[in-house]
Amino acid sequence: MAGEGETQTAAVSDPLLSPPTSSLGFPFDVPSLLSLSRRGQWRALLDAVADARRDSHLLPHQHLACLALSSLALSKLRRFSDAAAEIDALDASFDSPRFRFETYPAAYPGRSGSMIPFALRFLHADLPQRLGSRSVTLDRLYALLDLVQYKIQEETVAAPAADRWRRREAFVMATLCCNHFAHREFEVVLALIRQLLERDPSDPLLLSRLGYVQLQIGDLTGAKASFARVESLHPEGERTVELENLVGRNRALEFIVAKDYTAAVREYEECIERDPADVVALNNKALCLLYSRDLSDSIKVLEGALERVPTGALNETLVMNLCSMYELAYVNHGDVKKSLSNWIAQVAPDDFDPSCTRI
Amino acid sequence: MSGQPQGGSPPQHSLAFRVMRLCRPSFQAEDAVFRLLDPLDLLAPEDLLDDPTLPLDLLFDDAAGPDARVANSDFTFRDRFQIRSPVDAMSLSGLLVLPQSFGNIYLGETFSSYISVNNSSKFEARDVIIKAEIQTERQRILLLDTSKSPVESIRSGGRYDFIVEHDVKELGPHTLVCTALYNDGDSERKYLPQFFKFVVSNPLSVKTKVRTVKDNTLLEACIENHTKSNLYMDQVEFEPAQQWIATRLEVDEHTSETNSKTRGLFKPPILVTAGGGIYNYLYLLKSTVESGRVRVDSSSILGKFQITWRTNLGEPGRLQTQQIYGTPIVHKDIDLHILDVPPIIVLERPFLVHLSLKNQTERTLGPFEIFTSPGISSEEKVAMVNGIQKLVLPPVEAFDSNIIELNMIAPRLGVQKISGVTVFDVREKKVYDPLPDVEIFVDRA
Repeated sequence: MAGEGETQTAAVSDPLLSPPTSSLGFPFDVPSLLSLSRRGQWRALLDAVADARRDSHLLPHQHLACLALSSLALSKLRRFSDAAAEIDALDASFDSPRFRFETYPAAYPGRSGSMIPFALRFLHADLPQRLGSRSVTLDRLYALLDLVQYKIQEETVAAPAADRWRRREAFVMATLCCNHFAHREFEVVLALIRQLLERDPSDPLLLSRLGYVQLQIGDLTGAKASFARVESLHPEGERTVELENLVGRNRALEFIVAKDYTAAVREYEECIERDPADVVALNNKALCLLYSRDLSDSIKVLEGALERVPTGALNETLVMNLCSMYELAYVNHGDVKKSLSNWIAQVAPDDFDPSCTRI
Repeated sequence: MSGQPQGGSPPQHSLAFRVMRLCRPSFQAEDAVFRLLDPLDLLAPEDLLDDPTLPLDLLFDDAAGPDARVANSDFTFRDRFQIRSPVDAMSLSGLLVLPQSFGNIYLGETFSSYISVNNSSKFEARDVIIKAEIQTERQRILLLDTSKSPVESIRSGGRYDFIVEHDVKELGPHTLVCTALYNDGDSERKYLPQFFKFVVSNPLSVKTKVRTVKDNTLLEACIENHTKSNLYMDQVEFEPAQQWIATRLEVDEHTSETNSKTRGLFKPPILVTAGGGIYNYLYLLKSTVESGRVRVDSSSILGKFQITWRTNLGEPGRLQTQQIYGTPIVHKDIDLHILDVPPIIVLERPFLVHLSLKNQTERTLGPFEIFTSPGISSEEKVAMVNGIQKLVLPPVEAFDSNIIELNMIAPRLGVQKISGVTVFDVREKKVYDPLPDVEIFVDRA
């Protein structure tokens, strides 16, 4: 019998002194769910998660994981109001104590912190604009950015954790860039890119994207400087295929601006030779052919891409371009678009948006 | 997006025109495809990602490795689910998208169009003469004419394509008229006209103001954007008329641009927002004529603006304004101003105020009388001239000046004004505008 003077050790908040014993496992087979996501089989995934949820012994963090998966699947299937309704059914803010480990000391001895999956916060921010309230999405995204930046300042413990939050910060900022770009708010995009560049001034993809924004605005001098920066990052002989193609595609864009479509096509063909699945090069090459008065070949390039590399080429933008070309090429374009649409229905992932065919 | 035929094409034509406006393409930001940075973010608690009990090995992402593409090439849409680096969330892969609608056309732009003559019949069309022209209220501009060398044949299912370009220099309704004259399958000569209408609007308005500050002439121009796109002001140049030299006055670069990593990459572009955005330009005009005494009257021409703007992928537009005229400088014959006022002024004690009167003309002016004219309101707190109310001044020669001493007295305490000091030219019988009010503070003794 323990001496009466002994006190029981209270739960210590420092995980290093008292490692948690409860496992953070999940009520489903994670690899198979991931496989479904990567194949775009969102209906099957939705069913699998529904099955897992029927288990009445789910821990809070497992409920949240199911919720995140389910809302994602619903969003991917463009069932946005259903996705929003599921999250709203939580009936509490993400920062409520209900979603913190320390509220359930029996289930999670020695654990503390938020159990909200980060993607859930992100989904929650993204959904309002799909339902027509873009301003709510912007508010939530900027609030999320504040939260992430606060966490970065807080995380003095483990470097990997701070690193993860920094990646999330860049992710949210990049998402905001995308949103503002889509709404033609270019000055904000430039300001966000400037902040991203301060964190990583030698990212070739980021610099290239700065160039694309500058080209979209019409600032040709700025774009030229950005692309030159990308080229100067690594000497010519030492680039990976990916980087070589990035540089090649940037060069092609400068030719397009100068309306030298032949030179642009040449650049894209070199990219395609290095990487036959370079969908951006394939798509843009087709557009150059169109601008060179070669409608027939432009269609062939896009149809060929869909045939040879369907997983990469099945992209709403590429399909939209092909349909514009069909409308130009055929008086009775309804038939040819319909057969494209049928093929897409058989091959495309569940989240492919068929409205891009404009049938 | 391809033009629909208007203006009667009977259904038994073998040929048909398909038209697509070819302004430059745009970049597509794929904001509708929801992608994650990390599958772990979907399942694991946001605060505990390095916990050893998490099934991390199952979630290990092989997308980053060099074999990524090979490993995942068969039938996976991984790239629609997951990105590789956080900045990929910008979803700007460099994919270009064709213009999705005809859009608006503005004066100063170049109208470019792909025209495809389609043979959707089962028979060959022969000896095809194709013409394309733009018709406006004022003129017809021929863009293409194959009369001299007709297209020999357009086979069944075939097409004949061409691209036309036209610099838009007129406002209002325009019609692109495409006609084909050909022999059909029955060797009948057929005529197919098709019409595509569009309206050209004004993209910008330029409002100018001319001001004179001391001896400087300043020209302020406000450019307003009436289009539906943001316009990048690539070049805005003021071309002055012969007797002027113009210098643009710009704000110094913002001091927050001192971060050495990004300086030089970020000369902020001058972007005028769509639908009513404005941007102002300021120029200092200096006269090239000697002596600087040129009077700018309302018929004097200052110059004109040349504006080049750009939109997506550098699509240019160019306009020139009309001549801009100057407004008159009020060039006063005499200049009257206060030289000094005593620092301490005591109630009911006389004080001296010194004024300068300068003759700014080429001839002798005067003699003058100087007095204070009564204020409008009897409530006005005004210092009064002490002693003789009207001071007489002898004539002042050309470009010469004279110092006047006014003896004044303040009858009230506190903030008072020296007001209404007026100059009267006795010979020309001309009253000049009074001196602007000067405030003084009247103390107790």
